[in-house]
Amino acid sequence: MPSDEPPGQDTPDPSHHRPDADPMILPVMLAPIAASDLANPPARPLVLTPELEGRLHPLTLLFAGWNAVRGFLIPVIALFLFGKPTVAGVLLLFPLAITVFIGMVRYFTFWYRIEGRELVTRQGILERTERHIPLERVQDIRIEQGPLHRILGVADVYVETAGGKGPEASFSVLSRREADRLRCTVFEPAMATATPVSGEAVAVPASAPASPILVRKLRTRELVLAGLTSNRMASALVAFAVIWGLADNVLPDDVYERIGKWAFRVAEFVMEQETGQAVLLVSVGCIFVLLFCTCFSVVGSVVLFHGFTLSRIAEDLHRSYGLLTHRSSSLPRRRIQVLEIEEGFLRRMFGLATLRADTAGAGADERGQSRGGRDVLLPIVYQSEVAGLVPVFLPDLDSSDPAWRRVSRKAIRRGTIKGAFLCGLFAAGAILFHRSWIGLWPILLLPAVYAVNVMQYNHLGYSLVERYFRTRRGWLSRSTHVVPIRNTQAIVLRETPFDRRLGLATLFVDSAGQTYTGGGPRITNLPADEARDLARSLAHQASQTRYRW
Amino acid sequence: MDITPPLESRNEVGMTRNAELKNGSNDAEASSEIPAEPAPLVLSAVNSDSPVEFERLDSRVVGLWRLTHAILMGFLLLAIAVGGVFVGLAAGGLWPIVLGVWLLLAGLSVWLCAWYPRRAYAAWGYRIDAKVLETRSGILVRVTRLLPLPRLQHVDLQRGPFERAFGLASLILHTAGTREAVLVIPGLDADHAVRLRDHLVKIGGDDAV
Repeated sequence: MPSDEPPGQDTPDPSHHRPDADPMILPVMLAPIAASDLANPPARPLVLTPELEGRLHPLTLLFAGWNAVRGFLIPVIALFLFGKPTVAGVLLLFPLAITVFIGMVRYFTFWYRIEGRELVTRQGILERTERHIPLERVQDIRIEQGPLHRILGVADVYVETAGGKGPEASFSVLSRREADRLRCTVFEPAMATATPVSGEAVAVPASAPASPILVRKLRTRELVLAGLTSNRMASALVAFAVIWGLADNVLPDDVYERIGKWAFRVAEFVMEQETGQAVLLVSVGCIFVLLFCTCFSVVGSVVLFHGFTLSRIAEDLHRSYGLLTHRSSSLPRRRIQVLEIEEGFLRRMFGLATLRADTAGAGADERGQSRGGRDVLLPIVYQSEVAGLVPVFLPDLDSSDPAWRRVSRKAIRRGTIKGAFLCGLFAAGAILFHRSWIGLWPILLLPAVYAVNVMQYNHLGYSLVERYFRTRRGWLSRSTHVVPIRNTQAIVLRETPFDRRLGLATLFVDSAGQTYTGGGPRITNLPADEARDLARSLAHQASQTRYRW
Repeated sequence: MDITPPLESRNEVGMTRNAELKNGSNDAEASSEIPAEPAPLVLSAVNSDSPVEFERLDSRVVGLWRLTHAILMGFLLLAIAVGGVFVGLAAGGLWPIVLGVWLLLAGLSVWLCAWYPRRAYAAWGYRIDAKVLETRSGILVRVTRLLPLPRLQHVDLQRGPFERAFGLASLILHTAGTREAVLVIPGLDADHAVRLRDHLVKIGGDDAV
């Protein structure tokens, strides 16, 4: 599969930038739009030559139809199989007709151009929407290609800005060439020769188009490792539940009865065995389920991140990956609001980590939805590499392990008391259950509780250096947050009554976009005075910097 | 009670670079996991010697909170009383429970109207130190919020009907953050709120985004 990817697609090919070489604009197709532009003809200043101008690819219609049908496909096939073709036909045709109509409207009215460092899109017949997006505000451009897109050489393009929820502009579909051109034009200020806007402080040096620097490539072996160590076991079960839910609508009614009978027979069979064999059978069943989930997780990881490449061109980070659906995105690195180094329990055991980053406004409302790998900057990486990789994302950060400052030692006592309380509850429950002193076994866990709390304390820390605030927490699974102080939006101190009795406080740093990094830097059990001083120091340092999206 | 602060004088707070945090106890606790001598925490531009005093809200806010709580709880109690009568008519055995809940809520309302507003007022405070707005609030859980003013996106001045009756206003400060993106300062004198808003925006400066 990887062989049919266009080679070096992250390389800005200079030949793509010529504004006159645009095969997609067909004058014939523009004519009907010009006629329908009754009161408001397209305002195209003759002075400015647009750097880029275009319309959607004619295949838009096909993909609009395909997207509509896709959701119904499984039930429809099932209905055909179960002999209800009329219902299937209606189910298929009705959404198809509507979306094809919408797709047609979209195709014939959608139009975009880049001009004067602005991306302008326009669409609609009755209610015409014209949207101007300053290129400086563009956070990210994502290009996604499913298998069908790749065969036909087209792509979905999403332009993300800090504002709002979801993409600011989505192009579905553009030709792959056009998508690359769009991305190159947006992310290269050197191209802004037509209309240099005065006073625009563009942070990216306007040098000649730099060649991409490969940051990290992931091999299939590493992706398998990522799948084995991910906590995607749960998502396998969720996927199973979804399939079940779909099947529920179309399966004949007696399916449950049959499954129930079968399950009953299995249970009966298990019960008939001797105790040892029954335990064996049940554990074999559990292992089977576990294996299934692991396979699902590994396959999912490989399919999603196949051929993962992270490269850097000047100030922009480019990622491209995917076996079936090929995704690529460009992100200016100064847009990174928070960086998280996540080491889940399994990954930490194997010396692995995941890098996550948040940008402003990214995915504010997509909790629980499939993110297509957008939530991770680097899905898997060896812990030994992290120190070397962090400066790629935050260039002025001294990446050596900082001098972590610890919180109050009272954290250990507190955690142990909490744990002891839980143990006590368990013990009480166990005594009620066993009606014997054997129920006191949870008390034996107390030393372990204490040990865990000591380790947690040893790994809980923060560090405030010149331009960065870092927090680290967790022993078995660890998460480290790095937030540039210039991105600090607010600092919140919280003292619960328990905190106050011990003279402690929790500090929380708020920044734009905390969807993917698990809620941003938070540090508990700080001595209240220290927390106050730290908060003030952070706030004052932040107030002397400028925040740029 | 005139609480209008001499706002302009606030800016004179120096940008003195403070030395380091008192960190004796922490150094002693550090073990082999973390280097024994962490770099001193450099606190910049914090004038911890003579910090600006916290400003209080307008004292009229106590009356406002009493009124709003009374109205809210009054409606709730009325609704439960009406519902309780019906329940009592339908199933006579349940009325002691309904009465108990109602009395509990009535007690809570008395507390909310009589005791809570005064305590909440005492707990509330805000101050502007250099370019940072700091607010504190909360009786049970104390919350301190610090907002670097250059991060201010926009400020709303809100005056509900009850606030207007009391001559009060609220300032709603928005940042680009996520969970703490909105900071509300309630119960300000209406004129003072306008001045405070202008002042905050002025300090915030041109951190345009």
